[in-house]
Amino acid sequence: MPTDIALPSDQTRPAPPPLLPRVGMVALRVLTPVCSVLALWYLAIWFSSLPAFVIPRPERVLDVLWVDRAFIFVNLLATLKVATIGFLWANIAGIGLAILFDLLPPTRHMLMPAAITLRNVPYIAMISVLMLAFGDSILSKTAIVALSGFFPVLVNTMAGLRAADEVQLDRMRILNASWWQTFSQVRLPYAIPSIVAAQEITGSSSIIVAIAAEWMISSTGLGYVINHAMQNYRGDQVYAVALIATGLSFVIYSLVHALGGRLDWRVAGEQRRG
Amino acid sequence: MAAAISIRNVSRRFGDNWALRPVDLEIAAGELIALVGPSGCGKTTMLRIVADLQEPTTGEVRIGADSASEARRKRLLGLVSQRPAVLPWKRAIDDVRFTQKIAGRVGFDPATVLREFGLEGHETKRARELSGGMLQRVNIASAMAHDPSVLLMDEPFAALDEMKREEIGEWFDRELATRPKTVLFVTHHIDEAVMLADRLLVFSPAPGRVLEVVSVPVPRPRDAAFRQDPRFVAIAAHVRSLLAQQVEAA
Ligand SMILES: Nc1ncnc2c1ncn2[C@@H]1O[C@H](COP(=O)(O)OP(=O)(O)OP(=O)(O)O)[C@@H](O)[C@H]1O
Ligand SMILES: [Mg+2]
Repeated sequence: MPTDIALPSDQTRPAPPPLLPRVGMVALRVLTPVCSVLALWYLAIWFSSLPAFVIPRPERVLDVLWVDRAFIFVNLLATLKVATIGFLWANIAGIGLAILFDLLPPTRHMLMPAAITLRNVPYIAMISVLMLAFGDSILSKTAIVALSGFFPVLVNTMAGLRAADEVQLDRMRILNASWWQTFSQVRLPYAIPSIVAAQEITGSSSIIVAIAAEWMISSTGLGYVINHAMQNYRGDQVYAVALIATGLSFVIYSLVHALGGRLDWRVAGEQRRG
Repeated sequence: MAAAISIRNVSRRFGDNWALRPVDLEIAAGELIALVGPSGCGKTTMLRIVADLQEPTTGEVRIGADSASEARRKRLLGLVSQRPAVLPWKRAIDDVRFTQKIAGRVGFDPATVLREFGLEGHETKRARELSGGMLQRVNIASAMAHDPSVLLMDEPFAALDEMKREEIGEWFDRELATRPKTVLFVTHHIDEAVMLADRLLVFSPAPGRVLEVVSVPVPRPRDAAFRQDPRFVAIAAHVRSLLAQQVEAA
């Protein structure tokens, strides 16, 4: 494919700003939120007279992160594993069902009500049932992550697959394109922006749901660390986990966003315009 | 290779409304038929029926020995849609190649045809980087890239300025002389229709009915001088008066 030949439009792209100001901009964008969070945190400590195990000082939380790093890291890995597997399942189920509904419309009438029902069962009830069925296993935890995440993927993929312009579908029909050609060359590219948008939701919620499941039923993972800390009046440890989990959700969101931007032909075109 | 088209008693109704009242027409291989008529009279509907994108309510279309659907499945048809169907993430030249890949047939060299369409230097641009007129030219190039024997064109030159329109029209006429095709050509531009067509199908306002089939008995391709020809002037005036009477009657 001659798609990577030199782009004439590249010439119109503005020269990147010099390195130092760019680093400065990134630093500024990271530092401002960090500073404001810290400021609020200290203000809360000073103006509320809550004890340190309810609101520990930030430096105390950092200290815990360092001292308990081995314990936290092992459990962080456990959570990441649950979240990642669940996230993958959510995507396989969500995108897979959307394609199935498209290929065999009757399946949509059969399965969509079930999907909506699953969506509306309180997660706590679902976790409890899964716990009864499978105990504290990777299966029950990843299942709950997948169940909570597949719906946005399904709905967005379905909408995305309908986004192709009618004239483009006519073009494929007049060329007697196969279902697969029309799907892979026209409809899927049109659906990519919606699918990416769904990943931003499902990606960061995977971490949160994984932690909640561990908190309820597990003896591993960040959720378990919170549980353990509460039993020992270790508010500082809870904060440490919260900090890690928030950071993680943020990193996942940014990663999905950046990767998604690369896949999104609309964004790609705009950047090229300069 | 061009194919003869036979339109027999073809009509179309949407719900209770007739979009097109029965049309009968025999089109010889290599003929260019212009469809002219007021907005909403069923021109696009007629094209889509021949393209097998829509079922007729009555009647049938034969393309050579085939039904419309068989012709479509043999990839004998090319369609220039009223709005461009260029894929927004493809570069112009890749969009032309895309047609050839899907059709499994290379009509002509994509770079050459883009050059002939005045798109030299714009081959690697994407839809959003092209002007409306340029985009419509890519659209036409992509629609005929697999060298179909029947070309269905829905106001193909509407987005072009007057000069470019005449230029491309003449190029198109010469192109048809080397690679004959049977063409159904929808246009609102009466001079363009008389310049390019062997026959004009003049429609009444909605619900569309064929008022008259007007012949232009001058061999194609025709050069720019034909615009000054008394026959050109007389035919264009006749078509105008046909359409004007209809507007008055409505
Ligand atoms: N899918 C559809 N459903 C219902 N009505 C339709 C549909 N397609 C076309 N029509 C109606 O059929 C009539 C003819 O439409 P058509 O698009 O063929 O007109 P046209 O001659 O191409 O007009 P224009 O010059 O504005 O493109 C119109 O009244 C239109 O509203
Ligand atoms: Mg139309």
